Amino acid sequence: MSFIGLIVKNPFRNKTRSILAVIGIAIGIATIVALGIVTDGLKSSTEDTLKAGGSDFTVMESNISDMLFSSIDEDYVDKIMETDGVEDAVGVLTAVQPIGDNPYFIIIGIDPAKLYLSEMEVTSGSAFSSEDAKELVMGKVAAENLNKTVGDSLTLNNTDYKIVGIYQTGNLQQDGGVFMSLDNAQEIQGEEGKVTMIYVKIEKDANVEQITQSIEDKYGNDLTTVASLEDLQSVDQGLSVIDTASWAISLLAIVIGGVGVINTMIMSVYERTREIGVLKAVGWKNRRILSMILGESVVLTLFAGVVGIVMGVVAIQVILAMGMSGIIEPVYSLDVFLRGFLVALIVGLVGGFYPAYRASNLPPTEALRYE
Amino acid sequence: MNEENIVEIKDLRKSFDKGKVTALNGIDLEIKKGEFVSITGPSGSGKSTLLNMIGALDRADEGFINVSGYDLTLKNDLSEFRSREIGFIFQLHNLIPNLSVVENVEIPLFERNLSGKEMRERALKLLEYMGLSDKVNRKPTELSGGERQRVAIARALANEPSIILADEPTGSLDSKNGQLILEHLRELHEKEKVTLIMVTHDMNVASLANRTIEVLDGRIKT
Repeated sequence: MSFIGLIVKNPFRNKTRSILAVIGIAIGIATIVALGIVTDGLKSSTEDTLKAGGSDFTVMESNISDMLFSSIDEDYVDKIMETDGVEDAVGVLTAVQPIGDNPYFIIIGIDPAKLYLSEMEVTSGSAFSSEDAKELVMGKVAAENLNKTVGDSLTLNNTDYKIVGIYQTGNLQQDGGVFMSLDNAQEIQGEEGKVTMIYVKIEKDANVEQITQSIEDKYGNDLTTVASLEDLQSVDQGLSVIDTASWAISLLAIVIGGVGVINTMIMSVYERTREIGVLKAVGWKNRRILSMILGESVVLTLFAGVVGIVMGVVAIQVILAMGMSGIIEPVYSLDVFLRGFLVALIVGLVGGFYPAYRASNLPPTEALRYE
Repeated sequence: MNEENIVEIKDLRKSFDKGKVTALNGIDLEIKKGEFVSITGPSGSGKSTLLNMIGALDRADEGFINVSGYDLTLKNDLSEFRSREIGFIFQLHNLIPNLSVVENVEIPLFERNLSGKEMRERALKLLEYMGLSDKVNRKPTELSGGERQRVAIARALANEPSIILADEPTGSLDSKNGQLILEHLRELHEKEKVTLIMVTHDMNVASLANRTIEVLDGRIKT
């Protein structure tokens, strides 16, 4: 029998207690993993939105807490177009309306002549062609969820809009909503003359940083430029809040899981006091006893990590099956699973240290006398 | 230190509870290599404390104690001494319940840098010696009291110690199994020439030894 074999065998002596401890820790890990999968999906969708149509960067209102709160004068589209190095720019109004079961149905208004900047691919029907016609194109996911097809209509703000095409972008946020003319979107939202953001495409060989700097220098009081997800996080507190919440939950899971592990391992050490005395009597060094108990704690929490990751993924699948597939776009990245394991490892080490230290420092005669 | 002696103790003192309880009150003792010594005395006389001192499970407050050439009054880590020189047999077998019989015997070998195969071979040989070859994969709970104590003796022998310390080894056994264990211990002493120090309150058991020492009020009765 190897020492590792002994460490793996020991934690499951008292199966009920160990399983309860594993479940307690696994729930924390599952929360971290599920939240990580959702957050990564949200980041990925947001990044896709920022890079829509191969635009090189996005311009939005400065000093806002969330991307959706951005509101800038449409006049800025022409001003941006005049900037050296800019090849094209289009103003986009993004709004959220509750439709059916989806409280976050996305409506995107855009100049029909510049639809190419949105990188949408019309898979059936055609794109809307004029600013005035009460028409829209619907995302594939939205069409599936609302059971709509070309020729049907969608009522928005008491006005019927004809669905002239179905599109796909690969971005869940966009595929779960509709594109329509900017004028129609502004009318629905009562935001005439306003856009949420401006997609900017630069000339070949032009330098993004120089152009964004030039825009910030000229219009910095009203506008900010976002060329990457990192840029967005510095202006959009929504993603930062989710990130912070994710870490706070991780910390909470470490604390709660750690207390659970301390309790489980202290009980285990108490029960095995005589055994620890025997191990000392047969010549085991303190550090071997410390390694054994700490190792048992880590085995327990890593097992909980595996269970927690499975629970997290299953939870996401259940949420998707409950009709949230149009809202959540899960991203199963290695990073999220590693984070789950890292938290499990930290819980094991933090929670196991005190019981292990205690066990390793038990006086042998006292341990052997323990009833 | 006399080379014939494996244990030399001079004026050994030990008290507990901040000096309120005196366990050893000036013990002088010499034990020769290969001797079979029994230590007797009433409960609380200090005999188990003396055994723990010889096995380096506890430290003396005062006095000199040298076992197998190790000065046990020096404040260094004595786990290696216990691993190399001492084999303990307790009144209760103290086997690890979730491990098999052979795995229990392997436990002391973890500190000896042996491969898994070497550990297994040595443990199996000892279990064969103790007549337990057919029980190697059983759990301790599946054995009788006598069989468990024989496993504990095999465990005590795993590191090939120079001294076996037995604290009431038959105390929890019926007379038949107790007799069997004593025969094993005597055979061990006679064949392997191992030094055997046994604490017992049973004078019949003590009489099996070459020499009997009586401890009373923390002193050796002369």
